[in-house]
Amino acid sequence: MALPRPKTLRQARAAYSTNSELAWWVFMRVSGLVLVFLTFGHLFMTNIQVNAGEIDWQFVASRLDTPWIKVYNTFLLVLAMLHAANGVRYSIDDYLGKSSWRFAAKAVFYSLTAAVMLFGLISLWAIDYGRFNVPLGGA
Amino acid sequence: MYRGREGQWAFVLHRLSGLAVAFYLYIHVANISLAMFGPEVAGPILDFFHQGAFRIGLVLVMAGVVYHALNGLRIIIMDFTDWGVKYQRQLWYGVLALTAAIGAPVLYIVVPQIIQDLS
Repeated sequence: MALPRPKTLRQARAAYSTNSELAWWVFMRVSGLVLVFLTFGHLFMTNIQVNAGEIDWQFVASRLDTPWIKVYNTFLLVLAMLHAANGVRYSIDDYLGKSSWRFAAKAVFYSLTAAVMLFGLISLWAIDYGRFNVPLGGA
Repeated sequence: MYRGREGQWAFVLHRLSGLAVAFYLYIHVANISLAMFGPEVAGPILDFFHQGAFRIGLVLVMAGVVYHALNGLRIIIMDFTDWGVKYQRQLWYGVLALTAAIGAPVLYIVVPQIIQDLS
């Protein structure tokens, strides 16, 4: 089971014997701060400016086809998924007692994370949304 | 580990909202990415998630995002200032108040849309 997590940068440096745990501790705070702005902006564009219940393929494709949104969503996708994956990793360490279960859960979960993130990146950078012969509005 | 009281509730809500938003995030990315296969494939799946239960779930997920974001800022303040831990309880009440302050206008916009779409 995990020990109590450190509360200050100095405690984090002292507590973590490996550089990677310290790096993840810092990452959660830095990515979290950036994600506040990226996520609120995303929710404003997709839930306030439009009715989320009316979102159709044309709206999604128009957004995914817009260059600045490709960049915006790439940062949002990568930071959010790494932040989420590391948070779930903390939870697996906290709540799964048997090391064999922890290993199995992490193996499945990391694979899923990589697959979903790759899927998202493909949808952003490898697709010509004009090829479906549906007129796309500017996002 | 637990001092109980507000700090414990702040942690429990942060963990719960984080796991809930993470669960949503994976489904959301997969769902939106399906747009790469065109309107015939992605359209019906987007429609599927416009059902009432998912619309209400989306409101709860947004509430979770707002709480998790603001309480995350509280954690950053506690970690990187010398006064944050001392005032963590007051900061948490600030987090709850700001979550409500942001949530209220969002509900004012979104709830009528959901009611109209479902009736």
